Amino acid sequence: MAVDGLLAVGGILSLALGISGLILIKNQKQEVIWNKRLAAQLLCWIFVCKGVANGIRSIGYETEVWRIVLYSGHFADQIFSGLMIMLALIFPVPILRTRKQFKYGAAIVLLYTITSMGTAIFIGVDSPLAGLGDGYIVCGFIWTMVYLKFRFMKGHEDNKEILGVSDVAILLVIMIIGHILFRWLGMLTRSDYFYFMDLYGGNITSDYLWSLGLASAVLFGLVILFGEIYQTSQGRIRGTSYVIFIYMTIGVVSHIVLAGTGLSGSGGGTDAGSGYTALQTIWTEITSSVHFTMMRPILGLFILFHYGLIRISEDNEQVGKTMAIVLIVVATSALLEIIQSLIPLTEMLSAGILGVAIAFGIGWEERSFQSLISNPLRFPIRVKGSYFPELEFGKHEFQALDKTMMVMISFMLGVAFILHLSEADPFAMSFW
Amino acid sequence: MEMSDETSIGFLIKEDDSGRAFAILSTVLVIGLAFHAYTFFVTKEEDILNKYTLPSYSIMFDETEIQNSDSMLIANGETDNFQLSRDIIGVDSTRMMAKIVFTISYEETSGQIADPCDEVHAQIPPNGLIADWQNTQNVLSDSNDNCDTMTLTVFVYPGYTGETTEEVGNTEDHWEKKWSNQTYGSGILELEISVETNQAPTSILPGGNDDNEEVTIQWAVSFFLVDVQERAQ
Repeated sequence: MAVDGLLAVGGILSLALGISGLILIKNQKQEVIWNKRLAAQLLCWIFVCKGVANGIRSIGYETEVWRIVLYSGHFADQIFSGLMIMLALIFPVPILRTRKQFKYGAAIVLLYTITSMGTAIFIGVDSPLAGLGDGYIVCGFIWTMVYLKFRFMKGHEDNKEILGVSDVAILLVIMIIGHILFRWLGMLTRSDYFYFMDLYGGNITSDYLWSLGLASAVLFGLVILFGEIYQTSQGRIRGTSYVIFIYMTIGVVSHIVLAGTGLSGSGGGTDAGSGYTALQTIWTEITSSVHFTMMRPILGLFILFHYGLIRISEDNEQVGKTMAIVLIVVATSALLEIIQSLIPLTEMLSAGILGVAIAFGIGWEERSFQSLISNPLRFPIRVKGSYFPELEFGKHEFQALDKTMMVMISFMLGVAFILHLSEADPFAMSFW
Repeated sequence: MEMSDETSIGFLIKEDDSGRAFAILSTVLVIGLAFHAYTFFVTKEEDILNKYTLPSYSIMFDETEIQNSDSMLIANGETDNFQLSRDIIGVDSTRMMAKIVFTISYEETSGQIADPCDEVHAQIPPNGLIADWQNTQNVLSDSNDNCDTMTLTVFVYPGYTGETTEEVGNTEDHWEKKWSNQTYGSGILELEISVETNQAPTSILPGGNDDNEEVTIQWAVSFFLVDVQERAQ
């Protein structure tokens, strides 16, 4: 499968997760604490935005409507970036601890998003203010600090609720920057494949700010890696330790495979560069592209259900199951497509394997879905309640967030269309 | 801890470890990003800037033309073929074929009084030779009955105009390959010529039949060699 096909699959997965998640949140009857409730909503909108961006970009730029593809993808990523920062400010541990702080925080994030969108429109998508790498620094810093706090909390080394917070912090970091961790060694070895990753070119300040975000992602990954190596040496290995070990190990193999390569395409190194060999192209596809398009929604699903951001009861169990099945079936078939592109299979054999794979996938879902939703991990409010301030949010405020997001996404699609009609130059607004 | 501290935006930094996690993370970030900045702006700056400075090339052509002629005696109602290929022309294989021009001429040669010109039809079927058959400037058929000269043209190498062009990006090798594709011009081109004689009013006399015509075919084939030179930035 071509990367464009993977992007389309990733778009479908993200949209499916985002939209069905929002339906589940709307229908859930059980009470959920405010930051989890809001985080669930933000996470779902994050996936809607990423779904829109990936879906549009899967069309490719070799089309008459390339401006719509470029601008709407860029805008969707900027909204995605703003939502990520907002998520980090409230989840898993709220940085914004009063309603007043929340109000100002939300206003600043909204202003940041609008400013970067405006900069992209009026100055150019490659201008420093329209950069996207800053989101990685803010979110990565907050979540890595939360990880360090809760993973190394003295006297609570075996407290599941405390460790659950550090686990979700690791998973959030990996969900957002996992595809960059596949290239972590390139930063330390000063390899072209890292330093030339997705640079716009032409404006070195913009390129630096983007690369800075990628470098910070590597540093957060390294902090977590060394943290987990230490904990493992103390006999306190956890499931999330394996996740970070696997990602960083793949990063070492990636260095061997990608050494000597230069430019890479769009999407944080998810696309192969122009001079890549067949092996390097395939490797990029099965690592970075798979994470970027498929692992993100799967991790998102896990976080939403396992940490109780969305509580499943009898009322919404069917929607939850459908959501999990859709994600598993689409991800399974996409994975098979990738395998098929590596090993030539006949159509009959491929269809047979797909059937078996989906049957296993759904079988797995049936067995594990109940355990995933029936015992959501609680946060240590009784032991460390001071970390989790109680704020009151009305139902209308959650609805207002949905409406704002719908307006923003519709608006950005409309603006992208107008810019297409205006034949705007995304890299120099000469039509002004 | 006092209530006022619990509502502070810096609560997470100080709580439990007096800011140790924050300090460690900040230190790692500062050192790591300093290393990254040094690499980006000092070690690799030139590479990064050069990576996007696209080279430009002047693409020039050295053109030559080979001409020759032949004649065919074509019987009334018959169609004869004239063939042309690289082998027949005997050209150096490094030269690319650009264009083929046929000039077809004839006179009324029956020698009869008041014998009108015969009708001659010439056409080139768009196959046999790999050429730019879709080119709208191709003239692939013509006919007349007034002994005028006909000219048929086939453009062989797509996009070739013979003029020097400037191209940006890619490599010298890329542009050389683009203009050194020997596929174009390979194969055999056929020119089909048919004759329909027009009888003179005196043709009823004994020995007065006009039953063939001699047609002269002049051909001119243009060849070129590409010369790609990188322009100074």
